[in-house]
Amino acid sequence: MDAAVFYVSGVGSLLSSLLVVSLRNPVHGAIFLVLFFATISLDFLILRAPFLAVIQVLVYAGAIMVLYIFVIMLLSLRPEELREGTSAGRKALLALFSGGLFLLLAQAILASPWISSVPDLAGPLPKGAGEVGTTRAIGRELFQRHVLPFELTSVLILVAIMGAIYLTRRRPSERGKVHQ
Amino acid sequence: MSGPVFLALELSLQNVLLIASAIFCVGVYGVLSRRNVLVILMCVELMLNGANLALVAFARATVHRLPEGAPRANESHVFVVMVLAVAAAEAAVGLAILLAAYRRWHTADVGKINLLSG
Repeated sequence: MDAAVFYVSGVGSLLSSLLVVSLRNPVHGAIFLVLFFATISLDFLILRAPFLAVIQVLVYAGAIMVLYIFVIMLLSLRPEELREGTSAGRKALLALFSGGLFLLLAQAILASPWISSVPDLAGPLPKGAGEVGTTRAIGRELFQRHVLPFELTSVLILVAIMGAIYLTRRRPSERGKVHQ
Repeated sequence: MSGPVFLALELSLQNVLLIASAIFCVGVYGVLSRRNVLVILMCVELMLNGANLALVAFARATVHRLPEGAPRANESHVFVVMVLAVAAAEAAVGLAILLAAYRRWHTADVGKINLLSG
């Protein structure tokens, strides 16, 4: 049962990622990106990562997507600006390149003896495995063994906030100017 | 085995990794082929999510493969949390750069924002 749900949501996330890439209007792309994040969160649940599944919905579908939608609103792109001049030949070449990259990855995955020796992931956890993926287990891991990376991440986010504020501030020469 | 077929389906690590790398490659194609900065940033999120899915799958696999599997599995979940934080920072800075560039050139097309190309 778990495996069937995973395959359905995995194929769903693959299809919605294809739609994000191919739809011309970024608003439609953003909507399918939300669907993509939801299906990925379902995948996380089945792979026994409940904490990450919740965080995925909260941070990606909640916070990051709102940021994207706000920027789409602020830009108010006109339909003629959404037309992209990528030629069909260039697209075919890039599709060939990323398809080749996928084949390379697939070859590495299928050739690895370690990967093919792993038992069924949908089954129950082995006895004595302890807690995996719960909030408590990840909190312990994060605050006991990885305190320094955690603190460095907070510095990174602080720098990102300051950079975003600096980049979007209005310069004195632009005061009072309103674009259309 | 009795019952419907989907109850007997197996979830192998290979298939999960294949789905994850397919998502990653779709993201690569989008980043390279699209011209709209917004869509390019969304495709970067696709790539990061593909990598996250692979990390979570490996976490699930280490529980089976290693004698003391559970702590290691949680360690790779910590990796995913870090990737999430980096993705949030990247989206904030990327969209801020896009807003600043749009204010200056009135376009979101990477082909037309070419001040730095010689």
